[in-house]
Amino acid sequence: MAEIRYDVPNEQWPVHPEKATLEGRNKFVGFWTFLAGETVLFASLFATYLALKDQVPSQEHLVAADLYHLELAFVMTMFLLTSSLTSVFAVYHMRNNNFGKMQLWLGITVLLGAGFLALEIYEFVEYVKLGHTFRSSAFGSAFYFLIGTHGFHVIVGLIWITLLIIRNANRGLSVYTAAKVNTASLYWHFIDVVWVFIFTIVYLLGVL
Amino acid sequence: MAEQNHEQLTESQLKYLRMERTKEMRIQMISFGLMIFLTFIAFALVALEIDKNFVIPIVIGLAFLQVVLQFYYFMHMKDKGHEFAKLFILVGMYFAIAFVVCFIMIVWIGNPI
Amino acid sequence: MAQVKGKKAGFGAVLWDYLTTVDHKKIAIIYLVAGGFFFALGGIEAMLIRAQLAVPNNDFLSAGLFNEVITMHGTTMIFLAAMPLLFAFMNAVVPLQIGARDVAFPFLNSLGVWLFVFGGIFLNLSWFLGGAPDAGWTSYASLSIASPGHGIDFYAVGLQIAGAGTLISGINFVTTIITMRAPGMTYMRMPLFTWTTLVAAILIVFAFPPLTIGVFLLMFDRMFGSNFFIVEAGGNTIIWEHLFWIFGHPEVYVLILPAFGIFSEIFSTFSRKRLFGYSAMVFATVLIGFFGFMVWAHHMFTVGLGPTANAIFALATMAIAVPTGIKIFNWIATIWGGSIEFTTPMLYALAFIPSFVMGGVTGIMQAAAPADYQYHDSYFIVAHFHYVIVGGVVFALLAGLHFYWPIITGTMLSEKLGKIEMVIFFIGFHCTFLIQHWLGLWGMPRRVFTYLDGQGYNTANMISSIGAALMAIAVIILLINIIKTLVKNEKVGTDPWGDGRTLEWSLPIPTPYYNFANTPLIRGIDALALEKEEGDGTIPAAGPVEAIHMPNNSFIPFMISFGLFVAGFGALYFASGKPWAIDAVANLPEKPWALYVLIAGLAITFISMGVRSWKDDLGYYIPKEELEADLRELEARERGAK
Repeated sequence: MAEIRYDVPNEQWPVHPEKATLEGRNKFVGFWTFLAGETVLFASLFATYLALKDQVPSQEHLVAADLYHLELAFVMTMFLLTSSLTSVFAVYHMRNNNFGKMQLWLGITVLLGAGFLALEIYEFVEYVKLGHTFRSSAFGSAFYFLIGTHGFHVIVGLIWITLLIIRNANRGLSVYTAAKVNTASLYWHFIDVVWVFIFTIVYLLGVL
Repeated sequence: MAEQNHEQLTESQLKYLRMERTKEMRIQMISFGLMIFLTFIAFALVALEIDKNFVIPIVIGLAFLQVVLQFYYFMHMKDKGHEFAKLFILVGMYFAIAFVVCFIMIVWIGNPI
Repeated sequence: MAQVKGKKAGFGAVLWDYLTTVDHKKIAIIYLVAGGFFFALGGIEAMLIRAQLAVPNNDFLSAGLFNEVITMHGTTMIFLAAMPLLFAFMNAVVPLQIGARDVAFPFLNSLGVWLFVFGGIFLNLSWFLGGAPDAGWTSYASLSIASPGHGIDFYAVGLQIAGAGTLISGINFVTTIITMRAPGMTYMRMPLFTWTTLVAAILIVFAFPPLTIGVFLLMFDRMFGSNFFIVEAGGNTIIWEHLFWIFGHPEVYVLILPAFGIFSEIFSTFSRKRLFGYSAMVFATVLIGFFGFMVWAHHMFTVGLGPTANAIFALATMAIAVPTGIKIFNWIATIWGGSIEFTTPMLYALAFIPSFVMGGVTGIMQAAAPADYQYHDSYFIVAHFHYVIVGGVVFALLAGLHFYWPIITGTMLSEKLGKIEMVIFFIGFHCTFLIQHWLGLWGMPRRVFTYLDGQGYNTANMISSIGAALMAIAVIILLINIIKTLVKNEKVGTDPWGDGRTLEWSLPIPTPYYNFANTPLIRGIDALALEKEEGDGTIPAAGPVEAIHMPNNSFIPFMISFGLFVAGFGALYFASGKPWAIDAVANLPEKPWALYVLIAGLAITFISMGVRSWKDDLGYYIPKEELEADLRELEARERGAK
């Protein structure tokens, strides 16, 4: 069996620990390729949403301008943006071979992400109360599919990072775990990238 | 797994690396501040109910600017070894814009162009 | 390992080995067997279609069954036969061509193949569970939302599962080719099959997500009561057409580019010349890949997108002819003045040039948007795409099968039977599809289950059906050839064609499970040919023999795929008899267990993924001593052969 070294002394910790092994470099290139695919995936979702925006069966149905609240979208944006920064901190400490602080910042990232998710769920519940559901209109379907897919990515990211924190807790930092943390952090940033377009195209242009 | 870097870093190299990383962190903090600022402007422009035709292009421009910051600084795309990442994301973005434009223009809503 | 050491393993052990393997050479065999099976299935469906259409007013198949057969023929051939068979060659050859020990993500490679297998099985189970999908392989939403029963649901879920596998394999090959090349293997020294694989894999990465979204929209509408395509609720069915063709057009390049790659290798090998205009070929490949994304709406000229949109897409479509033309001329120039050897692969390659050009020319005819209104939905279209897909891709698959057979199995297919097969297939192919151009121009619409006597279609359809039977005979000859070869099991040695030019032919056959004992050093294009001309015919090593790191086998990919397969049934039956369901499934009996099956399936998948993430999978090392022993044994064997 191959073995991996934990608790590497600072002098031997590679400059780019996440890319110190062939597996790490593969992960890095493969994950960016995956993110490029995700770009197109979300583009298809945005395109569908824009084509179906405000397409409702009758006058009684609520449309974008009636529904969206800028305040909520702003608070959600702040949560996600900040969590993006905290995961940058985590990667910073990972590169500095500081396991404890890396875990701490990953934990804060998860908390902020969970806050975002809670607000999103609150938003969905409010809309459903108003009769704007996945099944009520084409607009509803497109809205929930776009925002829901992003929300699903957030959930996956939260579970992923939480699992990483727990699994690494009694292992520590190695080039093997560093690659895992780096990949999860890239994913988390990408979720934020998608959210930037969501708050712009869905919420800001929605209430105009 | 064999390829772990076994080079020993000297004390001063280590110090230099740490300094570089702290410098990078400062830049990341600045870009975070910028991102918050851009978000704030975008929301303010919409909340102030200024003319639509003026706001829409600016808001979309701000979004792209913010995303560039996110990619370049938060996701380290500015670093060496990211040529492929850049190429792939750029091509992806290009296709993304093409798809969105087509879905706005030619899904048979309103008059065909 | 068992193979290398010559030990006989029991059936159970071999089966378990293949279920858990992460070795690209074994995964290639799984792709080949499963893809071959689906190819046979799609072929049988094609025979049913031609039997039904052989004579007018035929009632061999009912109208409804005919729709199911054409849908399954198209879907099976594209998603479950052509693409997996190409993946088989990519897996078998590309890592060897670039001097890699394995692909970048062996685990994902295995996941990709099992997702494809389970997706394919899921789709084909529809025959036994209440009827196959019947809205054509394009499954336009206006038709597919109205299609009663669960047929379309099998299409949607099956494609979703198989499509996920393809996307994963695409990412895997992109990464492999970028990061795993041996020292000296620069981008502009890569063999053309590797180049076309890279571009095709990039196309997969960008083309499959739109399909995923499109199929999700269809799934949600049919299974979970959403309204994307329900026009009364504000939906829009044109969205499906766009999403499908945004995927669908690059998809044909995903198929044809690796086919071009295989032919490029064959042309230069059997002309015993370097490929003419290598850099132009690379440039053309990349250009075709890029243009492939900008032309999807030429499938939708008659939708009514408007003259401006049609003009833009018509122009972009015609532009693709330029890089394709560059390729054709380069192939001809490669043969020109070469010392040609007419082997079976070479015969296929030579037959490919005129056949594919004919398909290309009709493609340009259809690219002219106003003229396309005449061709649209007629047999002219059927003739066109069969000329490019069969004349291009299937020729390449058959040529590649003969060409790479020694690398995959260590034996050589009979050349005599191969040539007979090639001639019959070639005649059968033109006999079937050439006449269909005229059928289309005479006004026969595609996808009709029969036609009346006295419309002037009788003779032409009969000729077409006879041609199809010839193709079937050719495939049967190929099967006989394969069985005979496998039974005889005469092993061949290194470089069995004698003219191998690229790195994969430098390896001993059977290839050791670690591929290269020494990391090879590449000194130029056509690495092996270069060493034959300038050196001693062996590839120099980049360094001394060192312990090799290898990945562990894993059963988790199979479980992840199985979970999605189970979940698929839950999703499929979820809407049956529910009040909010679409009319197509609302009056079916309710299946209260559907939700639990869905949850259970997803749980299997996600728990398997969690286990994978939780455990450290560090692989193992092959000790230096074992490698050295293998090398000595090999040397002794080669001396014995001389």
